Amino acid sequence: MSRHIPGAVLALILLVLLPVTPALAQPLQVVASTPSLGMLARAVGDDQVQVRVLAPADRDPHYLDARPSYMAQLRRADLLLEIGAGLEEGWLPAAVRGAANPAINSGRPGHFRAADHLTLRASITVEGPNLGHVHGEGNPHFNLDPLRMASLAVALGERLGELRPDEAGIIRARAAEVATGLRTHAEALAATVKPGQGFVAYHEDLDYLTEWLPVQGLGYLEPVPGLPPTARHLSALVDGLQGRDGRVLHAVYQPARGGEFLQRHLGWPVHRVSLEPPMDAELEDYLRLMETWVATFERS
Amino acid sequence: MTASSTRLLRRFSAAAAGLALVAPLASGAQTQDSVDLKLSLILEGIYFNELREGHRDPAGFGGHDHGDDHGHGDGYDEGFNMGHSELVIEGRLGEFMEGVLNLGITDSDLAVEEAYLRTRSLPAGFQIKAGKFFSDVGYINNSHPHSWDFVDRPLVNEYLFGDHGLQEIGVQATWLAPTRTYTRLGLELLQGETSGVANYRGAQDDVEGTARILEDTEGPRLITAFAKFAPDLGVDHALQYGISGGYARRFQETEEHSSRYEDWNGTAWFAGLDAIYKYDAGGNYGHGNWRLQSEYFYRVSDVDRRDVSFDGLTVSNEQSFKNNQDGIYLQGVYGFAPRWEAGLRAEALGLSNEIGRGAGDSLDTSYRYSAMVTFRPIEPVFLRAQLNHNDFAEEDGRERGLDFMLQLNVALGAHGAHRF
Repeated sequence: MSRHIPGAVLALILLVLLPVTPALAQPLQVVASTPSLGMLARAVGDDQVQVRVLAPADRDPHYLDARPSYMAQLRRADLLLEIGAGLEEGWLPAAVRGAANPAINSGRPGHFRAADHLTLRASITVEGPNLGHVHGEGNPHFNLDPLRMASLAVALGERLGELRPDEAGIIRARAAEVATGLRTHAEALAATVKPGQGFVAYHEDLDYLTEWLPVQGLGYLEPVPGLPPTARHLSALVDGLQGRDGRVLHAVYQPARGGEFLQRHLGWPVHRVSLEPPMDAELEDYLRLMETWVATFERS
Repeated sequence: MTASSTRLLRRFSAAAAGLALVAPLASGAQTQDSVDLKLSLILEGIYFNELREGHRDPAGFGGHDHGDDHGHGDGYDEGFNMGHSELVIEGRLGEFMEGVLNLGITDSDLAVEEAYLRTRSLPAGFQIKAGKFFSDVGYINNSHPHSWDFVDRPLVNEYLFGDHGLQEIGVQATWLAPTRTYTRLGLELLQGETSGVANYRGAQDDVEGTARILEDTEGPRLITAFAKFAPDLGVDHALQYGISGGYARRFQETEEHSSRYEDWNGTAWFAGLDAIYKYDAGGNYGHGNWRLQSEYFYRVSDVDRRDVSFDGLTVSNEQSFKNNQDGIYLQGVYGFAPRWEAGLRAEALGLSNEIGRGAGDSLDTSYRYSAMVTFRPIEPVFLRAQLNHNDFAEEDGRERGLDFMLQLNVALGAHGAHRF
């Protein structure tokens, strides 16, 4: 048996290494933690980048595992884009550690942390009991705010320009274009919404809608962030909102039950929305996603 | 600590280390700040009830004292037990390296489970880890009890390695290949003290002028190697499989009988396979998710034995022999409702159970079957109920026991990693 094992190891190693192709002069290898960041990188980097996204659009980015396949992708990355502010805390640091790629260590140009380039809304997770899900730096769900995404496009353009100095001018110009496109679309959509409408969200992940639409958040189905809705909390919510108009919004990966309770007792519609564009999204996909968020409100 | 001050601190510490590795960042005033340390505390309590008394030591594995009195995994007292708590401190020296200290706490002692430094900036996919750590052989060996799916350690890990698995002081070098399929190769040079594969006693004093067979062997005495592979199967599926093995250039045992010392002096080696598959159903709070996990290990100890009587007058039982033993487990866990999981585990220890000692013996296989239900009200807290049916072989015959365990585990402090 002992004699067979080294042979088996060798065979396995060869099997795995064979398909490797030598590195050619190729686009920047970008790994983005979320689909929205992947979309920005594609829009700003265009043919200068090849983008891979780790978190699927229909999964809660708080609760992923540090998969070996993520490490394999990060191992070959020239640039890592992450949201930061604790969103990927559970899995991305572990995946980066396992990737053994110093180019994407924090502090290097190959590491772009979106939260560092923006002013975030305060997170409600810092109030109340600490249930292991605290975003002290602020609410990390700013991918729902096209205005912040526009600022991010410009910051990302700067970074890509540093990494591709020869193309810096073109990249910066494209970043400005993307930013303008996002802002214009946001403004146009906001103008279609009847002001003053309210919504209840499952988690604080839809709060940023109020930053660019004339709407307001009225509460959360979770009693505290990270804790599923309880009967007592839902009853209290219904009591407080009795007689008001509104709607319930929740992400595709969040349970429907709490929203249905409000629907029964308040007569509010419940909308199950996607918070992220598809993993291979282009700018147009994100603009369309914005429209699906806006469609949950009444037109003016 | 704010993001920018963290960045500044990292920048400062890297500069202090004489390394110009950190890229220029947005300028700002340098501020004095505390060290970037993360602290977490795992607290555990276990209620144990032996519903039907059974034999505790599987044949061929428990008869010989391994010199470790910690008690095996199911060595709980009837009633309430403190279980296994941990205090974990992690810190970074810029992007240069990071350190981890993991203290294991039981009601009677405090032990260093892990204390190591790991590089963060070696090129070309290399990493070096040095200190005390859990070996990366197999799958479950390098994980801490709070991340297990069952209350107790698999039999194969406990009896072929040790009560704490393969936990050693040494150096590990790994290389991650730049391939689409995750391919990680590793080599570990270890001191060699783990009871199951590298038990070490050192030379013992002569008995009334008669030498004993045990000899001193300088460390490192144990070398291990492993390879892990994980194809990219898309967003719903994840698979990792591994192969590992090790060689100990010294494996010793000693036991005091009524009138003589029994000493073994020799070598040992082991080899094994491991695999883990995870299915992510995309449901709420783990609903519909699957995990399948299995490991097999085979161990051979090859020793010379010589017994010396307490008066030093008689040397007996001079022989050379091999013990060939193995073990396997297979477990599956299913998220049957949001925040609820149920799992089954089947284990066999000593499918090959060839003991060369004395006239030689081929002992029977021991089995254990476990079922568990875990409830996770919020992410850092879980409550688990587990039943173990032990069907252990004895030197002659079998004995069956039934254990019940209730485990409460709470993680406080820094967000723990969702390791794979």
